[in-house]
Amino acid sequence: MAVIHPEPELIPYLRGELNADERAQVRAHLEGCAQCRELAEASSAILSNLARAVDQVREPDWVEYRGELMRKLRAGQARNASIRGRWRWRRADVRLPVFGWPSMAVGAAAIAVLAIALVMHRGAEGLRTPGVDQLELQQELSSADVGLLANYRVVEHLDLLENYDVIERLDELGRPGDRQNHETPS
Amino acid sequence: MVEPSDEELCRRIAARDADAFEVMLDRHQARAYRLASSILGNEADARDVSQDAFIRLYESAGRFDGRSRFSTWFYRILVNLCIDHQRRNRWWRRLAPLAGPGGDNPDERAFDPPSSETGPESKAMLTQSISRLRPALAKLSPQQRAAVLLQTQEGFTSREISEVLKCSENTARVHVHRGIAQLRKLLKNE
Repeated sequence: MAVIHPEPELIPYLRGELNADERAQVRAHLEGCAQCRELAEASSAILSNLARAVDQVREPDWVEYRGELMRKLRAGQARNASIRGRWRWRRADVRLPVFGWPSMAVGAAAIAVLAIALVMHRGAEGLRTPGVDQLELQQELSSADVGLLANYRVVEHLDLLENYDVIERLDELGRPGDRQNHETPS
Repeated sequence: MVEPSDEELCRRIAARDADAFEVMLDRHQARAYRLASSILGNEADARDVSQDAFIRLYESAGRFDGRSRFSTWFYRILVNLCIDHQRRNRWWRRLAPLAGPGGDNPDERAFDPPSSETGPESKAMLTQSISRLRPALAKLSPQQRAAVLLQTQEGFTSREISEVLKCSENTARVHVHRGIAQLRKLLKNE
Protein backbone atom coordinates (compact mmCIF):
# COMPACT_ATOMS: atom_id res chain seq x y z
CA MET A 1 0.00 0.00 0.00
CA ALA A 2 1.38 3.43 -1.00
CA VAL A 3 2.36 5.72 1.86
CA ILE A 4 0.74 9.15 1.77
CA HIS A 5 3.24 11.80 2.83
CA PRO A 6 1.53 14.81 4.44
CA GLU A 7 3.83 17.27 2.67
CA PRO A 8 1.48 20.27 2.48
CA GLU A 9 0.79 19.88 6.20
CA LEU A 10 4.46 19.95 7.26
CA ILE A 11 4.83 23.73 7.37
CA PRO A 12 1.48 24.28 9.13
CA TYR A 13 2.62 21.58 11.58
CA LEU A 14 5.90 23.37 12.28
CA ARG A 15 4.01 26.67 12.72
CA GLY A 16 1.49 25.15 15.12
CA GLU A 17 -1.52 25.75 12.84
CA LEU A 18 -2.93 22.23 12.85
CA ASN A 19 -5.66 20.98 15.14
CA ALA A 20 -4.92 18.21 17.65
CA ASP A 21 -5.91 15.33 15.37
CA GLU A 22 -3.93 16.60 12.37
CA ARG A 23 -0.94 17.35 14.61
CA ALA A 24 -0.97 13.82 16.04
CA GLN A 25 -1.16 12.29 12.53
CA VAL A 26 1.74 14.36 11.18
CA ARG A 27 3.84 13.69 14.31
CA ALA A 28 3.25 9.96 13.97
CA HIS A 29 4.20 10.09 10.30
CA LEU A 30 7.38 12.09 10.93
CA GLU A 31 8.54 9.57 13.53
CA GLY A 32 8.65 6.89 10.86
CA CYS A 33 9.55 8.90 7.72
CA ALA A 34 13.07 10.27 7.32
CA GLN A 35 12.16 11.78 3.93
CA CYS A 36 9.46 13.98 5.46
CA ARG A 37 11.68 14.92 8.41
CA GLU A 38 14.30 16.15 5.95
CA LEU A 39 11.69 18.00 3.92
CA ALA A 40 10.32 19.66 7.04
CA GLU A 41 13.79 20.77 8.10
CA ALA A 42 14.66 22.11 4.64
CA SER A 43 11.34 23.94 4.31
CA SER A 44 11.77 25.50 7.71
CA ALA A 45 15.27 26.69 6.79
CA ILE A 46 14.12 28.19 3.49
CA LEU A 47 11.23 30.02 5.15
CA SER A 48 13.52 31.33 7.87
CA ASN A 49 16.07 32.61 5.38
CA LEU A 50 13.41 34.11 3.18
CA ALA A 51 12.03 35.98 6.15
CA ARG A 52 15.48 37.38 6.92
CA ALA A 53 16.04 38.28 3.29
CA VAL A 54 12.69 40.04 2.96
CA ASP A 55 13.37 41.99 6.14
CA GLN A 56 16.38 43.46 4.40
CA VAL A 57 14.43 45.11 1.58
CA ARG A 58 15.77 48.62 1.20
CA GLU A 59 13.13 51.08 2.27
CA PRO A 60 12.32 54.19 0.27
CA ASP A 61 12.39 57.75 1.58
CA TRP A 62 9.08 57.67 3.40
CA VAL A 63 8.52 61.43 3.30
CA GLU A 64 8.89 61.38 -0.44
CA TYR A 65 6.77 58.22 -0.66
CA ARG A 66 3.95 59.81 1.34
CA GLY A 67 4.15 63.05 -0.62
CA GLU A 68 3.85 61.17 -3.88
CA LEU A 69 1.00 59.05 -2.52
CA MET A 70 -0.97 62.10 -1.39
CA ARG A 71 -0.43 63.78 -4.76
CA LYS A 72 -1.77 60.69 -6.53
CA LEU A 73 -4.71 60.55 -4.15
CA ARG A 74 -5.59 64.21 -4.72
CA ALA A 75 -5.19 63.81 -8.49
CA GLY A 76 -7.55 60.82 -8.39
CA GLN A 77 -10.09 62.77 -6.32
CA ALA A 78 -9.87 65.74 -8.70
CA ARG A 79 -10.39 63.39 -11.65
CA ASN A 80 -13.41 61.80 -9.98
CA ALA A 81 -14.83 65.22 -9.09
CA SER A 82 -14.33 66.35 -12.68
CA ILE A 83 -16.19 63.30 -13.98
CA ARG A 84 -19.02 63.88 -11.47
CA GLY A 85 -19.06 67.59 -12.39
CA ARG A 86 -19.32 66.78 -16.06
CA TRP A 87 -22.33 64.58 -15.39
CA ARG A 88 -23.92 67.29 -13.25
CA TRP A 89 -23.31 69.85 -16.01
CA ARG A 90 -24.98 67.57 -18.54
CA ARG A 91 -27.99 67.13 -16.27
CA ALA A 92 -28.20 70.89 -15.73
CA ASP A 93 -28.00 71.37 -19.47
CA VAL A 94 -31.05 69.19 -19.95
CA ARG A 95 -33.05 71.02 -17.26
CA LEU A 96 -35.38 73.82 -18.49
CA PRO A 97 -34.30 77.01 -16.76
CA VAL A 98 -37.75 78.60 -16.14
CA PHE A 99 -40.45 75.97 -16.14
CA GLY A 100 -38.51 72.99 -15.00
CA TRP A 101 -39.50 69.35 -15.25
CA PRO A 102 -43.32 69.85 -14.74
CA SER A 103 -43.49 71.96 -17.91
CA MET A 104 -41.79 69.14 -19.78
CA ALA A 105 -44.56 66.82 -18.59
CA VAL A 106 -47.22 69.26 -19.74
CA GLY A 107 -45.47 69.63 -23.08
CA ALA A 108 -45.30 65.88 -23.50
CA ALA A 109 -49.04 65.62 -22.71
CA ALA A 110 -49.82 68.35 -25.28
CA ILE A 111 -47.79 66.53 -27.91
CA ALA A 112 -49.65 63.31 -27.09
CA VAL A 113 -53.05 65.08 -27.45
CA LEU A 114 -51.99 66.58 -30.79
CA ALA A 115 -50.82 63.22 -31.99
CA ILE A 116 -54.14 61.61 -31.02
CA ALA A 117 -56.10 64.43 -32.70
CA LEU A 118 -54.03 64.05 -35.85
CA VAL A 119 -54.63 60.32 -35.92
CA MET A 120 -58.40 60.80 -35.39
CA HIS A 121 -58.54 63.49 -38.06
CA ARG A 122 -56.81 61.20 -40.51
CA GLY A 123 -59.19 58.44 -39.48
CA ALA A 124 -62.20 60.68 -40.21
CA GLU A 125 -60.72 61.64 -43.56
CA GLY A 126 -60.30 58.00 -44.25
CA LEU A 127 -64.00 57.46 -43.54
CA ARG A 128 -64.97 60.28 -45.85
CA THR A 129 -62.89 59.01 -48.70
CA PRO A 130 -65.12 56.53 -50.57
CA GLY A 131 -63.91 53.29 -51.98
CA VAL A 132 -64.62 52.06 -55.53
CA ASP A 133 -67.69 50.07 -54.37
CA GLN A 134 -69.02 53.06 -52.47
CA LEU A 135 -68.62 55.29 -55.54
CA GLU A 136 -70.66 52.86 -57.65
CA LEU A 137 -73.36 52.70 -55.02
CA GLN A 138 -73.46 56.48 -54.73
CA GLN A 139 -73.81 56.71 -58.51
CA GLU A 140 -76.81 54.36 -58.50
CA LEU A 141 -78.47 56.27 -55.69
CA SER A 142 -77.95 59.55 -57.53
CA SER A 143 -79.71 58.20 -60.61
CA ALA A 144 -82.62 57.06 -58.50
CA ASP A 145 -82.74 60.43 -56.78
CA VAL A 146 -82.87 62.13 -60.21
CA GLY A 147 -85.81 59.82 -61.18
CA LEU A 148 -87.65 60.71 -57.98
CA LEU A 149 -87.00 64.41 -58.49
CA ALA A 150 -88.54 64.08 -61.97
CA ASN A 151 -91.74 63.00 -60.25
CA TYR A 152 -91.38 65.40 -57.36
CA ARG A 153 -94.89 66.75 -57.63
CA VAL A 154 -96.35 63.22 -57.34
CA VAL A 155 -94.11 62.33 -54.44
CA GLU A 156 -95.02 65.56 -52.73
CA HIS A 157 -98.64 64.49 -52.49
CA LEU A 158 -98.05 60.96 -51.36
CA ASP A 159 -98.86 59.82 -47.89
CA LEU A 160 -95.99 57.43 -47.62
CA LEU A 161 -97.48 55.35 -44.87
CA GLU A 162 -100.73 54.77 -46.73
CA ASN A 163 -99.50 54.35 -50.29
CA TYR A 164 -97.03 51.50 -50.01
CA ASP A 165 -97.93 50.05 -53.38
CA VAL A 166 -97.30 53.45 -54.98
CA ILE A 167 -93.90 53.66 -53.32
CA GLU A 168 -93.01 50.20 -54.58
CA ARG A 169 -93.79 51.32 -58.14
CA LEU A 170 -92.25 54.76 -57.99
CA ASP A 171 -89.95 53.89 -60.91
CA GLU A 172 -92.93 53.55 -63.15
CA LEU A 173 -94.08 57.04 -62.27
CA GLY A 174 -91.21 58.51 -64.26
CA ARG A 175 -92.25 56.90 -67.58
CA PRO A 176 -93.27 59.41 -70.19
CA GLY A 177 -96.97 59.28 -70.93
CA ASP A 178 -97.85 57.99 -67.54
CA ARG A 179 -97.32 61.32 -65.91
CA GLN A 180 -100.83 62.64 -66.62
CA ASN A 181 -102.52 59.52 -65.18
CA HIS A 182 -100.64 59.83 -62.00
CA GLU A 183 -101.19 63.51 -61.61
CA THR A 184 -104.81 63.05 -60.65
CA PRO A 185 -105.04 60.11 -58.30
CA SER A 186 -106.73 61.89 -55.49
CA MET B 1 -4.06 55.76 25.55
CA VAL B 2 -5.36 52.73 23.62
CA GLU B 3 -4.33 52.67 19.99
CA PRO B 4 -7.29 52.36 17.62
CA SER B 5 -7.51 49.02 15.85
CA ASP B 6 -7.02 48.77 12.10
CA GLU B 7 -10.73 48.06 11.75
CA GLU B 8 -11.60 51.24 13.68
CA LEU B 9 -9.18 53.28 11.58
CA CYS B 10 -10.74 51.83 8.45
CA ARG B 11 -14.19 52.97 9.60
CA ARG B 12 -12.80 56.44 10.21
CA ILE B 13 -11.13 56.49 6.80
CA ALA B 14 -14.49 55.60 5.26
CA ALA B 15 -15.79 58.78 6.92
CA ARG B 16 -12.89 60.65 5.25
CA ASP B 17 -10.81 61.14 8.39
CA ALA B 18 -7.41 62.22 7.05
CA ASP B 19 -5.69 61.65 10.39
CA ALA B 20 -6.86 58.04 10.48
CA PHE B 21 -5.42 57.55 7.01
CA GLU B 22 -2.08 58.94 8.18
CA VAL B 23 -2.05 56.53 11.14
CA MET B 24 -2.90 53.65 8.82
CA LEU B 25 -0.03 54.62 6.54
CA ASP B 26 2.37 54.77 9.49
CA ARG B 27 1.31 51.27 10.44
CA HIS B 28 1.30 49.54 7.10
CA GLN B 29 3.38 51.40 4.55
CA ALA B 30 6.66 49.59 5.28
CA ARG B 31 5.06 46.15 5.34
CA ALA B 32 3.02 46.83 2.20
CA TYR B 33 6.04 48.15 0.35
CA ARG B 34 8.21 45.21 1.45
CA LEU B 35 5.63 42.66 0.38
CA ALA B 36 5.11 44.36 -2.98
CA SER B 37 8.86 44.58 -3.48
CA SER B 38 9.26 40.88 -2.69
CA ILE B 39 6.46 39.85 -5.04
CA LEU B 40 7.39 42.20 -7.87
CA GLY B 41 11.16 42.20 -7.48
CA ASN B 42 11.35 45.83 -8.44
CA GLU B 43 11.50 48.93 -6.24
CA ALA B 44 9.79 51.33 -8.60
CA ASP B 45 6.92 48.92 -9.26
CA ALA B 46 6.66 48.15 -5.53
CA ARG B 47 6.38 51.84 -4.81
CA ASP B 48 3.66 52.42 -7.42
CA VAL B 49 1.66 49.32 -6.58
CA SER B 50 1.80 49.79 -2.81
CA GLN B 51 0.71 53.42 -3.24
CA ASP B 52 -2.13 52.26 -5.46
CA ALA B 53 -3.16 49.83 -2.74
CA PHE B 54 -3.37 52.68 -0.22
CA ILE B 55 -5.39 54.77 -2.67
CA ARG B 56 -7.77 51.82 -3.10
CA LEU B 57 -7.94 51.52 0.67
CA TYR B 58 -8.87 55.20 0.98
CA GLU B 59 -11.47 55.03 -1.76
CA SER B 60 -13.09 51.75 -0.76
CA ALA B 61 -12.72 51.75 3.04
CA GLY B 62 -16.51 51.91 3.27
CA ARG B 63 -16.73 48.50 1.63
CA PHE B 64 -14.74 46.79 4.38
CA ASP B 65 -17.47 44.85 6.18
CA GLY B 66 -15.38 43.71 9.16
CA ARG B 67 -16.08 40.02 8.54
CA SER B 68 -12.36 39.35 8.09
CA ARG B 69 -9.35 41.00 9.65
CA PHE B 70 -8.41 44.34 8.13
CA SER B 71 -4.94 43.04 7.25
CA THR B 72 -6.44 40.14 5.28
CA TRP B 73 -8.70 42.54 3.38
CA PHE B 74 -5.94 45.07 2.69
CA TYR B 75 -3.33 42.49 1.66
CA ARG B 76 -5.86 40.95 -0.69
CA ILE B 77 -6.03 44.34 -2.45
CA LEU B 78 -2.24 44.61 -2.49
CA VAL B 79 -1.56 41.06 -3.68
CA ASN B 80 -4.20 41.33 -6.41
CA LEU B 81 -2.63 44.57 -7.62
CA CYS B 82 0.80 42.92 -7.63
CA ILE B 83 -0.48 39.91 -9.58
CA ASP B 84 -2.33 42.16 -12.04
CA HIS B 85 0.77 44.28 -12.46
CA GLN B 86 2.87 41.23 -13.21
CA ARG B 87 0.34 39.93 -15.72
CA ARG B 88 0.30 43.26 -17.51
CA ASN B 89 4.08 43.44 -17.66
CA ARG B 90 4.72 39.80 -18.45
CA TRP B 91 5.74 40.46 -22.05
CA TRP B 92 8.18 43.11 -20.92
CA ARG B 93 9.81 40.89 -18.30
CA ARG B 94 10.54 38.31 -20.99
CA LEU B 95 12.67 40.90 -22.73
CA ALA B 96 14.24 42.38 -19.59
CA PRO B 97 15.15 39.61 -17.12
CA LEU B 98 14.39 40.39 -13.50
CA ALA B 99 17.17 42.53 -12.08
CA GLY B 100 17.71 43.36 -8.45
CA PRO B 101 16.87 46.83 -7.19
CA GLY B 102 20.46 47.82 -7.66
CA GLY B 103 20.76 46.28 -11.08
CA ASP B 104 24.03 44.46 -11.62
CA ASN B 105 25.91 46.33 -8.93
CA PRO B 106 26.39 43.91 -6.00
CA ASP B 107 26.82 46.83 -3.61
CA GLU B 108 23.26 47.87 -4.35
CA ARG B 109 21.71 44.58 -3.30
CA ALA B 110 18.38 44.90 -1.59
CA PHE B 111 18.89 41.91 0.67
CA ASP B 112 21.71 40.71 2.86
CA PRO B 113 22.94 37.18 2.40
CA PRO B 114 21.15 34.71 4.67
CA SER B 115 22.67 34.14 8.07
CA SER B 116 23.97 30.88 9.51
CA GLU B 117 21.68 27.95 10.28
CA THR B 118 22.23 24.34 11.31
CA GLY B 119 21.78 21.27 9.11
CA PRO B 120 23.49 20.42 5.83
CA GLU B 121 20.83 21.86 3.51
CA SER B 122 20.40 24.88 5.73
CA LYS B 123 24.13 25.52 5.60
CA ALA B 124 23.96 25.37 1.84
CA MET B 125 21.12 27.85 1.99
CA LEU B 126 23.22 30.16 4.10
CA THR B 127 25.67 30.53 1.31
CA GLN B 128 22.96 31.57 -1.09
CA SER B 129 23.20 35.24 -1.83
CA ILE B 130 20.03 37.12 -2.48
CA SER B 131 21.08 37.40 -6.09
CA ARG B 132 20.19 33.67 -6.31
CA LEU B 133 17.21 33.70 -4.01
CA ARG B 134 15.51 36.53 -5.80
CA PRO B 135 15.44 35.03 -9.31
CA ALA B 136 14.34 31.76 -7.73
CA LEU B 137 11.41 33.59 -6.13
CA ALA B 138 10.63 35.21 -9.46
CA LYS B 139 10.23 31.78 -11.06
CA LEU B 140 7.37 30.80 -8.75
CA SER B 141 3.80 31.27 -9.90
CA PRO B 142 2.26 34.52 -8.61
CA GLN B 143 0.04 32.57 -6.19
CA GLN B 144 2.93 30.50 -4.88
CA ARG B 145 5.13 33.55 -4.46
CA ALA B 146 2.39 35.49 -2.71
CA ALA B 147 1.57 32.54 -0.44
CA VAL B 148 5.20 31.99 0.55
CA LEU B 149 5.81 35.69 1.15
CA LEU B 150 2.61 36.22 3.09
CA GLN B 151 3.69 33.38 5.34
CA THR B 152 7.32 34.40 5.76
CA GLN B 153 6.90 38.15 5.82
CA GLU B 154 3.50 38.72 7.33
CA GLY B 155 3.33 35.53 9.39
CA PHE B 156 -0.09 34.76 7.91
CA THR B 157 -1.63 31.38 8.68
CA SER B 158 -2.85 29.08 5.90
CA ARG B 159 -6.39 30.24 6.61
CA GLU B 160 -5.43 33.90 6.24
CA ILE B 161 -3.50 33.17 3.05
CA SER B 162 -6.57 31.38 1.71
CA GLU B 163 -8.64 34.51 2.42
CA VAL B 164 -6.15 36.75 0.65
CA LEU B 165 -5.86 34.47 -2.37
CA LYS B 166 -9.57 33.57 -2.34
CA CYS B 167 -8.95 29.84 -2.30
CA SER B 168 -9.47 26.97 0.13
CA GLU B 169 -7.18 26.49 3.09
CA ASN B 170 -5.86 23.24 1.59
CA THR B 171 -5.04 25.04 -1.67
CA ALA B 172 -3.18 27.72 0.29
CA ARG B 173 -1.14 24.99 2.02
CA VAL B 174 -0.37 23.42 -1.34
CA HIS B 175 0.74 26.82 -2.74
CA VAL B 176 3.16 27.27 0.14
CA HIS B 177 4.43 23.71 -0.04
CA ARG B 178 4.95 23.78 -3.81
CA GLY B 179 6.53 27.22 -3.65
CA ILE B 180 9.04 26.08 -1.03
CA ALA B 181 9.69 22.82 -2.91
CA GLN B 182 10.30 24.80 -6.09
CA LEU B 183 12.68 27.20 -4.33
CA ARG B 184 14.56 24.28 -2.84
CA LYS B 185 14.88 22.63 -6.23
CA LEU B 186 15.99 25.83 -7.96
CA LEU B 187 18.60 26.62 -5.32
CA LYS B 188 19.91 23.06 -5.35
CA ASN B 189 20.37 23.09 -9.11
CA GLU B 190 22.43 26.26 -9.11
